[in-house]
Amino acid sequence: MNSASSSRPITPGETLAKVKAGLPRRRAAERRFRAYGLAAIVGGLVVLAILLLDILFKGHSAFWQTRIELDVFVDPAMVAASSDERTRLMEADYSGMIRQGLGKLFPEVTERGRKRSLGALLSGGAPYELRDRVVADPALIGQTIPIWVTASPDVDMFEKGQLGAPDTDSFRLKSDQIEWLARLKQEHRLEKRFNTQFFSAGDSREPEQSGIWGAAVGSFFTLLVTLSLSLPMGIAAAIYLEEFAPRNRWTDVIEVNINNLAAVPSIVFGLLGLAVFINFFQLPRSSPLVGGLVLTLMTLPVIIIAGRSALKAVPPSIREAALGVGASSMQTVLHHVLPLALPGMLTGGIIGMARALGESAPLLMIGMVAFIVDVPGSVMDPATVLPVQIYLWADSPERAFVERTSAAILVLLAFLILMNGLAVYLRRRFERRW
Amino acid sequence: MNSLLELKTAMRDERTEVKPAKRLGTNVSFDRDYGDTVGEVTASNARMVCRDVNVFYGPKQAIHGVNLDIGRNEVIALIGPSGCGKSTFIRCLNRMNDTIVGCRVTGSIQLDGQDIYDPQMDVVPLRAQIGMVFQKPNPFPKSIYENVAYGPRIHGLTQNKAELEEVVENSLRRAGLWDEVKDSLDQPGTSLSGGQQQRLCIARTIAVNPEVILMDEPCSALDPIATARIEQLIDELRMQFTIAIVTHSMQQAARVSQRTAYFHLGKLIEVGETAQVFTNPRHQLTEDYITGRFG
Ligand SMILES: Nc1ncnc2c1ncn2[C@@H]1O[C@H](COP(=O)(O)OP(=O)(O)OP(=O)(O)O)[C@@H](O)[C@H]1O
Ligand SMILES: [Mg+2]
Repeated sequence: MNSASSSRPITPGETLAKVKAGLPRRRAAERRFRAYGLAAIVGGLVVLAILLLDILFKGHSAFWQTRIELDVFVDPAMVAASSDERTRLMEADYSGMIRQGLGKLFPEVTERGRKRSLGALLSGGAPYELRDRVVADPALIGQTIPIWVTASPDVDMFEKGQLGAPDTDSFRLKSDQIEWLARLKQEHRLEKRFNTQFFSAGDSREPEQSGIWGAAVGSFFTLLVTLSLSLPMGIAAAIYLEEFAPRNRWTDVIEVNINNLAAVPSIVFGLLGLAVFINFFQLPRSSPLVGGLVLTLMTLPVIIIAGRSALKAVPPSIREAALGVGASSMQTVLHHVLPLALPGMLTGGIIGMARALGESAPLLMIGMVAFIVDVPGSVMDPATVLPVQIYLWADSPERAFVERTSAAILVLLAFLILMNGLAVYLRRRFERRW
Repeated sequence: MNSLLELKTAMRDERTEVKPAKRLGTNVSFDRDYGDTVGEVTASNARMVCRDVNVFYGPKQAIHGVNLDIGRNEVIALIGPSGCGKSTFIRCLNRMNDTIVGCRVTGSIQLDGQDIYDPQMDVVPLRAQIGMVFQKPNPFPKSIYENVAYGPRIHGLTQNKAELEEVVENSLRRAGLWDEVKDSLDQPGTSLSGGQQQRLCIARTIAVNPEVILMDEPCSALDPIATARIEQLIDELRMQFTIAIVTHSMQQAARVSQRTAYFHLGKLIEVGETAQVFTNPRHQLTEDYITGRFG
């Protein structure tokens, strides 16, 4: 540029005029940017809402279960003769009692085929419900007791209006069965009641007897193992690498490896767990212990990376201040750096846990996909976890498992929301200004 | 105050008549081993002795061969243009530069005859002995009380709570902050104003009772009243302690220090009695700086 243009005299108001001329363009750019952002958020929320509503719509009915009330005479003659009180109670002919109770309601049904259709209104688990009542209170023997027993899945689906049209294949109720149901309803012996079974039972082949509790406990034990291993190890590793480790080739290699591990597909960790924990260390298959160990391997890199960035975010002036008054490195970290980094570390940890909670692929590899009826009592018992349970149910042909799949997803989401809520709470609780 | 007046007139005089460049270093009694520094780098009763100190930030050298003694019961002012390495040098004196990745210090720095860069040296007692006030106020994100009590507590300087409270009050009083915060000791230290924070940091440093205090521009964010309070504190502390203070204010250097060291581009250009350095600088660069021709 020549000197004339650079030393051009500035006329008053020139800057303002230029700024004003450019202003509409700047404003428009800003508005556009905001609109994009808003559109992205609204779009995301809409999709999320659709997803949630769909699951809620499909799944809410699983929280209710059709039950039928019978007056059952606990016939002492049908209680097995055995010296042992417990086997005597356990092996009584409860199905017979249930059949009698049902027969009393419909005395006109005498033909064999129709009797069978009548019995098909009830769940195969109904005798066990009676058994549990009697075992809990043997004094009931010899009395006639009113008892609400679970209806069969077809009845349940029919009552919930999910059985489809009467002329399709899936509609498996006969016309007289529908009549009987109407009569039961009239007599107030048929009701949809809160499905406690769903929240207290393990898995089952029969949809009406299956519950989420086994998988929830399995998830709990698995996450317990994961949390108690990965959080302390992850935080300790992050502190060591960030605050104490010398910067050299070795720590570089470690850092690169940790970053790479965080990106490894989770199923690979499952293979590793199968090879190391089960085949080599001979730990029990399908157990929450092995599941927890595998998920620990998977979440550890995430927690270390989150922890290190939380530590990096602590201003160095805080470290200098502490070192300056003569605190040791350990005191500096424990008294000043860690309290500031902890909210970030915990958030990272809980995000890692949430990921672990939703993980199924690596757990399939170590056998947590097995069909397990019993609710696990310890980390060594065979178990399954919520996402695997969802996968199993989604794969089942029975219609009644459809609503249960959605309900299980709701339970899983509730867990996730709970954990994220905890993360937010911890963040608020420990967050400090500096 | 008298000396300050003299100084001011002297400075005014020098500003009016621009002297020709002069290099008196060769005429003055100074040991040739101590490089190019003009003036007396040694002190008769030295507490800290720095010899041929070089500091590197990675490949970049920030301090070039500095030799300097810091005497018992003296306040030495480090002056020089921005970026000349005053902070870098003062941070070497309590090994604060250890915390900077890629920072390397060569040469020897002794405290009472002991090399502080000796691998055997434990930095914890060293830093308890050599306190530091940083250029930017850096209170802990804890309460005001905790800020001051932290040092005495980790070093176990007090026997009980009452004693600790006394130390806290005393330190805050000496730093001229007590009256402003005595009712809000449980408020976070970070909620104070910049100048208050700096005084809090000073209180935190003196609470440990260090023998040497390094101050990096302690008054740059303070008003004249707080500055006067700190200067008075420095004067009190001098009776017991050794103080090195970095300052951009010549008046302050003149008021509080006995000796002054002038740094330029990482080199120690001139050091001498404060009055002499300000009224009669021997090096052209020093003269240019204090007469305000640059920096
Ligand atoms: N952490 C660092 N990493 C790299 N270079 C640094 C670092 N700190 C300081 N330096 C460099 O060292 C030189 C001296 O910096 P120093 O902070 O000691 O200056 P100063 O005299 O204290 O300046 P001021 O009066 O502005 O505080 C500068 O050139 C600066 O760029
Ligand atoms: Mg500085």
